[in-house]
Amino acid sequence: MRLFFATDIHGSETCWRKFLNSGRHYEADVIVLGGDMTGKALVPIVSDGGGRWHATLLENREELEGEEAVAAFEDAVCRRGYYPFRTDPDELRELADDEPRWHRLFHDEMLKTVERWMALADERLEGTGIRAFVCPGNDDQLDIDDVVQSAKKVELAEGRVVELDGYQMASTGWSNLTPWDTYREEDEPQLAERITRVVDQVTADPERTIFSFHCPPYNSGLDEAPDLTEDMKLKDAGRATKPVGSTAVRQAIEDFEPALSLHGHIHECKASTRIGRTLCINPGSSYEQGDLLGAVVDLDGKKKIKRFLLTSG
Amino acid sequence: MATTTAGDMPYQERSLFVRKATGLVRGWSVQDAFIYATFSINLITLGLYIFSYGPFIPKASLLWAVLLSGAYLLFQTIVYSSLIAVMPRAGGDYVWVSRVIGGGIGFVLAVCGWWFINWHWVPIYANILEKQFFQPLAAVIGWDSAVTFFGEAKGLFTASVITAVLAAFFISLGMRGYAKLQKFCFYGGVLGLLIIFALLLFHSKDAFINAFNSGSADQYHGPANAYQATINKGSYDGADNLGSLAFGTTVLLIPMIAFFNLWSNWGATLYGEVRGASDFRKNIYAMAGALVVTSIAAVIFFLLIAKTMGWDFYNSANNAFWSGTDSMGGVWPYPVTLATFFISPWLQFIVILLMSLWFFGWVGTVFLTASRVIFATAFDRILPEKVAQVSKNGVPYYAILIMFVPSLVIAYFYAYNATFFSWTLDATLVIAVTFVGSTVAAAILPWRKPEIYNASPIAKYKIGPLPLITAAAIAFLAFLGFCIYKWLQDDVYGSNDTGSLIYMGCLYGIALAIYLVSRIVRARQGMNLKMVYNEIPAE
Repeated sequence: MRLFFATDIHGSETCWRKFLNSGRHYEADVIVLGGDMTGKALVPIVSDGGGRWHATLLENREELEGEEAVAAFEDAVCRRGYYPFRTDPDELRELADDEPRWHRLFHDEMLKTVERWMALADERLEGTGIRAFVCPGNDDQLDIDDVVQSAKKVELAEGRVVELDGYQMASTGWSNLTPWDTYREEDEPQLAERITRVVDQVTADPERTIFSFHCPPYNSGLDEAPDLTEDMKLKDAGRATKPVGSTAVRQAIEDFEPALSLHGHIHECKASTRIGRTLCINPGSSYEQGDLLGAVVDLDGKKKIKRFLLTSG
Repeated sequence: MATTTAGDMPYQERSLFVRKATGLVRGWSVQDAFIYATFSINLITLGLYIFSYGPFIPKASLLWAVLLSGAYLLFQTIVYSSLIAVMPRAGGDYVWVSRVIGGGIGFVLAVCGWWFINWHWVPIYANILEKQFFQPLAAVIGWDSAVTFFGEAKGLFTASVITAVLAAFFISLGMRGYAKLQKFCFYGGVLGLLIIFALLLFHSKDAFINAFNSGSADQYHGPANAYQATINKGSYDGADNLGSLAFGTTVLLIPMIAFFNLWSNWGATLYGEVRGASDFRKNIYAMAGALVVTSIAAVIFFLLIAKTMGWDFYNSANNAFWSGTDSMGGVWPYPVTLATFFISPWLQFIVILLMSLWFFGWVGTVFLTASRVIFATAFDRILPEKVAQVSKNGVPYYAILIMFVPSLVIAYFYAYNATFFSWTLDATLVIAVTFVGSTVAAAILPWRKPEIYNASPIAKYKIGPLPLITAAAIAFLAFLGFCIYKWLQDDVYGSNDTGSLIYMGCLYGIALAIYLVSRIVRARQGMNLKMVYNEIPAE
């Protein structure tokens, strides 16, 4: 069985479309998105009247004239993983002063995008025979699970074990605590309990078991993230890195020794390693560049997986 | 944020609403990035060492060569800042070239330029360690046998082992530990440099002549009136040219100076997300700032040396050393040693020790970049996955091993075999060729990867019809082309040795063979390495 795994696409329209095409491109039987599929930012496109607009992307201010220019700008924003919305100066000012209101707007735009993505998936995956799984990550709000569940051709993997052509995949997108107080994070003991609840459902042998845990195992080389100062700046210009993975995830891998363990969460830490017999992969993420980093893995039921590639699609 | 108005009241218009999410940081310090770039173009270790070769191009002005090349290399900072802005967190030259031009070319250039060649840089680093640490300190405490030992082949090999062990140890500390160490070394090194500047500023030339005459006699058993003897034996036509431009000959010094100032691009590649053009500018400020400040520091050093030691003496001392007629017992005339002849031996010892922090904060770089390349190529399955394995403590022991062991073998032959030594003379050239690959990738990037380029914060920067990245890349390519041409064409750089070219050619051949064998082996295992780079359609 050939599996393609990608993760942390954070709202990037380009990456989602590439993910949907990845099964055919890599001749994979199963495609798995490991979490953090929703975007991080809203970009206002402000009307100046008379068909003129302005907006700022990547700190570059753009003056836009006409519907075509605005639509092209919206596409660029979506490709980057942000959510565009049209507004006027007065509304924007009110929005900026009203945090709950812009959070609601963000939430609505995010859900609308996920709904659109699921509809696109249903259309693209129809008749391909490729099974697609999504397991939301710590940055994804809880209510996207319902949207994913409503899709016909995408299966929600969170908190359960799924059967894959003679293999079983146990998944969770929850992580250990982060400095950002995100939606699906908890202390290591609680995370260990959550993982145990999922892994206890596995009935397959270790060599026919896959873990898909968003958070990478602690100190594995898959979890090196830039160290931060107290005011959330990168220490030593990003050179000082430290392991931030989960001890609970590592313990679960060491105890169960599945054939494969798939991770994400730390975008800059594209890597693969072995913990015991388990092949552990974090393909990393370059969602802002529209580059779908991923992993193609051939599972043959043997104790040690040998055929895999980290891809840059 | 942009300033705009709503109704009648001016206010700061919000251009981005960012929710709570992993990886969102407030930025990074230009000062920190500047520190690390300054360590890469290391004025003390690389600079002072290569400046001593100035007499090989008589009549040329070292001062103008540093200024002109420093100013021109700002194009390099634009090229690399642009590559980082378009493909951040990408892993450097290997990833840029492999993604833009091709996997095989990327692998061969990066492996030769950042891994194989760094084995050969270990004895070069060791040479500097001997000249700036062991010999001057041993001389201060009167340990003559150590001074002699570190001037011989066995001393060079010993220093190479120490260099390799230190580099491996610093890598095993992890990036966080190494970054802290570098910062400590930077501030200590700057303090040492300020002391040297003060010593040179507040002493007269007469005082220096007296201090040198007695210091060289006491510590290096030099002749009486060693100052004059040095000038007599080492002087040459043009030795006193400090500030005269002499463009035609000065420009020939630039390929030599590149040994010191070609490395500002060893800059940061890890940044926070949802950031844009300001990061590009900050990156330029850090790299270009390091280049400009280091060039200015070099000029200040030259002016102080000229004022207090005499520029003709400085060049004569270097010339005499390389021609074996010096007055310091065959020991390299380390300007720090010379400047500290003014003070008592124990203070001299402390200042030389302080200045050695420029070496100890820098030595890890000889393996650090290589380890990144080894990891990146292993993750692309070209090298075996084993080489990217880390221990439970995060130590990349296999990667360290394949850097450490070959470097010792190379160092042994470098120290004991004159023919092999001559083969290694192209060490700078090979890295410059790697830069050519990345710079070509930068030049064609807007056309080869239009979607990624157009989505980057630098897409709007243009010079006339050309994207800024392309224009800067063309300018930097001209610099690299000139240097490579001169290195290959002119004996004076010591790098157009036929044996060296054949040897380096063999290294490229080995890299190519590894790539091709890997493709075949992976294909037999059912893995097509083309899949690593092939882009998935996004329609």
